Amino acid sequence: MKYSIKEIKDRLKADFSDSADLSVREFVLKSSRGVKAAVITMEGLCDKEQLAQTALNPLLSFDFEDMEPKEISRTVLGSVIASSDVIPFDSYGELITYITSGFAVIAVDGGEKLFAVGVQGYASRSVSEPESEVVQRGSREGFVEPLRVNMSMIRRRIKSPLLVFEQLTVGSGSRTQLMLCYLHDRASPELLDKLRKRLAACDLETVLASGYLSDYLEDEGTSRLFSGVGISERPDTVCGKLTEGRIAVIADGSPAVLIMPHLFVEEFQGVDDYSNRTYYAAFIRILKYLSFLVSVFLPGLYTALAQFHPEYFPTFILKKTAQSLSETPLPVTLEVLFIAFVYEIMKEAGLRIPKSLGHAVSIVGALVIGDSAVNAGFISASTLMVVAAAAICGYVTSPLYPPIMVLRFIFIIVGGIAGLWGIVLVTAVVIISMCSKTSLGVPYMSSLSPFSLKSMRDVFIRSGWRTLSRHTIRVQKFPETEVKG
Amino acid sequence: MKDRVRFSSKRLFLTLMLCACAVILLQNYSLGRGGGFILDVIAVFSGLALSFVFFIPSIILKKKTDADLLMLARQRTPRAAVAVSIFYAAYFAYTATFFLIPYTDMFSKKYYPEVSRCVIALLLIAACVYAATKGANVITRFGIFLFAFAMLTNLLMFGGSLTALDFSNGFRIGDADSLFGDVVYFCAPSFTAVIFACLAGQGRGFTVKQPVIALLLSGLKYSLVLFFIRYALGSYADRQEYRTFVLSRVAHFGAYAGVESFYLALATMSVFMTVSLFFCCVCRSAGMSGSLRVIVPEAVFVFLLNLLTKYNQTAEALLTNKYILLFLTFIAAVVIPVLYLFVWRKFNAEKNKHIITEP
Repeated sequence: MKYSIKEIKDRLKADFSDSADLSVREFVLKSSRGVKAAVITMEGLCDKEQLAQTALNPLLSFDFEDMEPKEISRTVLGSVIASSDVIPFDSYGELITYITSGFAVIAVDGGEKLFAVGVQGYASRSVSEPESEVVQRGSREGFVEPLRVNMSMIRRRIKSPLLVFEQLTVGSGSRTQLMLCYLHDRASPELLDKLRKRLAACDLETVLASGYLSDYLEDEGTSRLFSGVGISERPDTVCGKLTEGRIAVIADGSPAVLIMPHLFVEEFQGVDDYSNRTYYAAFIRILKYLSFLVSVFLPGLYTALAQFHPEYFPTFILKKTAQSLSETPLPVTLEVLFIAFVYEIMKEAGLRIPKSLGHAVSIVGALVIGDSAVNAGFISASTLMVVAAAAICGYVTSPLYPPIMVLRFIFIIVGGIAGLWGIVLVTAVVIISMCSKTSLGVPYMSSLSPFSLKSMRDVFIRSGWRTLSRHTIRVQKFPETEVKG
Repeated sequence: MKDRVRFSSKRLFLTLMLCACAVILLQNYSLGRGGGFILDVIAVFSGLALSFVFFIPSIILKKKTDADLLMLARQRTPRAAVAVSIFYAAYFAYTATFFLIPYTDMFSKKYYPEVSRCVIALLLIAACVYAATKGANVITRFGIFLFAFAMLTNLLMFGGSLTALDFSNGFRIGDADSLFGDVVYFCAPSFTAVIFACLAGQGRGFTVKQPVIALLLSGLKYSLVLFFIRYALGSYADRQEYRTFVLSRVAHFGAYAGVESFYLALATMSVFMTVSLFFCCVCRSAGMSGSLRVIVPEAVFVFLLNLLTKYNQTAEALLTNKYILLFLTFIAAVVIPVLYLFVWRKFNAEKNKHIITEP
């Protein structure tokens, strides 16, 4: 079907409400028939110099002689545009997607096809090390906001034709581009189908970050305390996961890449583990597990022991704890809750305020609030020490911080009300909830429960590369996984 | 989740072993007071051998049909299945109460004298209801963590008591008069055979050696407990009302008394797991895995029984009677499965006849 530039222009102006950044540059081609053409772009999304070199200059200088618009269209694609990234299309919907994604669209009046030329040139952050996943030995590259840059970072690391990027769009209003990234021979087709269906069922109007999708990707009816969706800003981490049969979801405009299925034990694995010596990696792993336990349980246990079972304290600790607790006005449960709460406030303040003020907040937090409150007798030194130790341990496994924080508060309250018995019972309930969780049908606690001896070589310890390289573990092969392939 | 995935039979037996190990230790029993260690061990292994007999009908059913009793009841005898379901619901309510009473009593006496044991039972039952809604598979996964915790606890308890061992009294054979009572007492783990009869259909990779190993390991654990009670604790054990208290004493390490809490935690988690499994079995008997419509009425019934025992001595005596439990277990684990074995054989015979007579 033929189209006219006037029609397209009028429709675009109506749809974009005559928006100032919509640019439709019309010109007459060098042709005896005086055929018109237009370049449609969104201002600020295209590299003007590249557009001039690859499209405008060749179009204006090429002599189309006596060609018909249909033939001109073919010639434009075949002989005129000097770019490797030219996509012919014919729907209005695609036109909107391309121009809002930074492509320049070339239309020839009376032609049958439109051409999207890849001349994206919007300002973006340069590739840098992600602050949340710092490594000692390893790549310093982290994902950035533009989707194509992120794709290239993965492709550079896996130079295999089996690496597939599958494009999807989510968000009825924002029309955010997504890429499903997987290794064709490793990822289970059933897993992929599940993921596609879930993304298709996403009815969000606007998707501004990949995190918006997490809720839609989680398995129905499973606990949401722990996340069944992994997040990484590191291309090397994502590539490692892809080789295990996992699927990555890259969203345009977000450096955080979602990885599924995601398991509990992965929260304790870091890129450095695989670069360091085996014994050191094992030590760090065990340290992480212990820190997780300390961070979740220590304040709750302290509250339970101080409130209900002081006889469990060793004598020398009991004397000092009893003395310091007796001098403070609040009951121990409220005191622990209060300090934990104040700590969370200080943490949030530290994250939001300008970096230049960060030191001032640290001083106020540590000296004024901490030291002065102890000296003034508002809080006991032992309580402060317990909460501080738990808080520091919580950051050893930073992706787990949200559930750690919630559980810490729950255990403080339960420990204060029901003592050790309550803590044990809630622990049992939490473990049950974790064991029942699945991520795309793969049990969240896989390797530990259901137990898999083969996978244990990369759980509490990291075996040597010779052992690890013997078999690559694929997620769909974990015991009791609900997917095949 | 729930019934969609069949889980490893090994894991089911690991879970049953943990149930058998911990629950028996909660009983207020006079074992180890005046008897001899050797006779105690004989009682342990005789009781467990008898428990194995309770497993045999379900093992045969599992081997021949790869199904469990409840599945077979629903498929082959739909009318009788209702009666069977009601019987098993009543049996599990009785057994849950049988284990909950000494457990809640112990906790209310030891830690919370001012809190009624019914409150403890209510909270525990509420947690069990949540676990049961997740299905037996999830509970057996929980069993792996409990097993790791049990290993640590036993290591601490027995390791800490090694220095206190005293063999000056020697290895006495003991008094044979109480042997029958002891054997019946150590038959308590036979309730695990009923759980197996109800959940066997969900397990895969079953072999006969699994229940044998589970019972042998339970026997080893009992023998170790008896050994340490006799040779590490001595007269201290005689003064205690509950086995758990005795074992918690084993865990004392000089000034670090807190280790005993490990054992109490283990007992809590084991009772939690056992009662949750009971609820799962009741769900399975109704053919509705993880359904709150089945679990909640059963849980309310169990709680009411607990409440009843608090105010009625006769009811308490009836609900904590080990002979009644053994009798009911015999019906649930032996009589009914044997009946269904006959039903299955009859059904197969008719099917074969039909095939032969068909032109």
